[in-house]
Amino acid sequence: MRRCANLALWRIFVMVSMTVTLVGVAALLGVVLMRGLPALGPALLFGDVSPLAAMTGAVPVWDGIWPACAGTFALLMVALGLAVLPGIGCGIHLALFASPRTRVLLGLAVDLLAGVPSIVMGLFGFTLLLALRRTVAPDASTGLLLASVCLALLVLPVLVVTTRGALEALPAQLRLTGAALGLDTWGRLRHLLLPAAGRGILGGVLLAAGRAAEDTAVIMLTGVVASVGLPAGLGERFEALPFTIFYLSSQYRDAVELQRGFGAATVLLVLSLTLLAGAWLLQRVLERKWRGVLPVSHCQGTSEDIR
Amino acid sequence: MRAVRGVLHRATSGRVNGRSPAEQSAACALPEGLAARLAGVRVAFGTRQVLHDVHLDVPSGMTTVLIGRSGSGKSTLLRVLQRLNECLPGCTTTGRVLLRLDGRVVDAYSGAVGDPSWLRARMGMVFQSPDVLPLSIRRNMDMTLRHVLCLPETEVAPRMEEALREAALWDEVHDRLDENALGLSGGQQQRLCLARALALRPAFLLLDEPTASLDIASARAIEERITSLGHTRTVVMVSHGLRQALRLADNLVLVDAGRVVRVWNRHGAGLPDVAELEHHLED
Repeated sequence: MRRCANLALWRIFVMVSMTVTLVGVAALLGVVLMRGLPALGPALLFGDVSPLAAMTGAVPVWDGIWPACAGTFALLMVALGLAVLPGIGCGIHLALFASPRTRVLLGLAVDLLAGVPSIVMGLFGFTLLLALRRTVAPDASTGLLLASVCLALLVLPVLVVTTRGALEALPAQLRLTGAALGLDTWGRLRHLLLPAAGRGILGGVLLAAGRAAEDTAVIMLTGVVASVGLPAGLGERFEALPFTIFYLSSQYRDAVELQRGFGAATVLLVLSLTLLAGAWLLQRVLERKWRGVLPVSHCQGTSEDIR
Repeated sequence: MRAVRGVLHRATSGRVNGRSPAEQSAACALPEGLAARLAGVRVAFGTRQVLHDVHLDVPSGMTTVLIGRSGSGKSTLLRVLQRLNECLPGCTTTGRVLLRLDGRVVDAYSGAVGDPSWLRARMGMVFQSPDVLPLSIRRNMDMTLRHVLCLPETEVAPRMEEALREAALWDEVHDRLDENALGLSGGQQQRLCLARALALRPAFLLLDEPTASLDIASARAIEERITSLGHTRTVVMVSHGLRQALRLADNLVLVDAGRVVRVWNRHGAGLPDVAELEHHLED
């Protein structure tokens, strides 16, 4: 009787938690989309410049958020380019090759890095710039590269932890099977373990991308500005959607500008969803290629003894 | 001049008849007629000693069956042959394991072996629970054919068919090789694992209770395959059933508490009956 009552209480708690989450997500999306969707259009992105001229950079855009979109995309690519391989490599090392002592020390280092607030990371970037200017690079300045390096450091722990978790969650039998088949260490990693953990690793890359795309505090101190046009190079200042949203929503002069801020937020949401969709598609393609299983409609028949 | 150089090289390297001193020593320690010899083998996982000073001879071209109570070390002993225990955390193995592979005698745990993956590829292992990969049947076979043996494209399909036929599975799956292997029945999955191992054309076939998780009909099918395979290669298997062991064994090894207690040979003094085996196990 008491057990049934406990179970009922747990069920209620779980349902309430689920409802709160759903309501929160719905409220967030609802507010952003309701305020932002009316602002969507070519004018939000390109101002009074033609889309083609804006996208090719032939004519600078001052009233639209297209430079911020391009800046966010460039920032994302450079930051992920710097972080993905080291992050996944470190995760692989921790999961498969590290000694117990290394696991403890390196794990602690990753946890400490994960705990660093983004504003502190931004301050680190700024301090790094000052040190470079005093030593080996007197002409160094804030820009895309510095911001990307700091963002890469910020998202590195996400990649390490998700990769390590995905590999450690694999059944131990899989490693034994790979060894028993005669695959060497690299063969087991390449043909068995990484493909099997692919979903988790890709999920980690997606989380890292999301974090890199939305973080404002780091880029505020390392190179983002309100208005500079399309990114001109790794050492140049740039615009980015998160900062544009912050700037528009804190410095707006009228309702139109505020609505543009919501429009920019909607565009950022669409960008995140696009990333998610792209990652899902990539994961399906890679997994299908690894498994080599044809879709159900191609099957000739079913086994009588399917488990 | 070339002949002189050759003599000088052999004299300084110690090679005789193309063999190094270590190979010579190993060859002398493994008489003809034996596929493997374990001498003084000890295996521990951390502080827990699992095998204690094991000495065992495995005859060539015969089926050797290991029996014993649960936890007696049978599976660990089987894995010693393929150096699989070192894939498990905290394992240390000492002693000598001589294997006859491709006409050569190899000291499996010597430094000369290097990366043991090549040695493992000369043996086919089938585990107690079917360990098919979550891939298509074709891709399961590809693991050994393409990624271990690195066969050219033209040889992959014929070799796959050969192995699946040898495991008596070809007729059941030839028209659905691109279906998920997890959709096969338990018996079919175990035969797929057997086919995957046979694709290596291994010198040894190592079977760890291959019928333990199967129904009677599937178990019988596997046993028939083992019987026919035992005529052409060295088979070492762990069995959970005394009657099965007596049906299949040419060489029966009783393992208890990490030690080889008794060995019977069908072609020598003969195998015991079930009652005698049960008596030994109880003791």
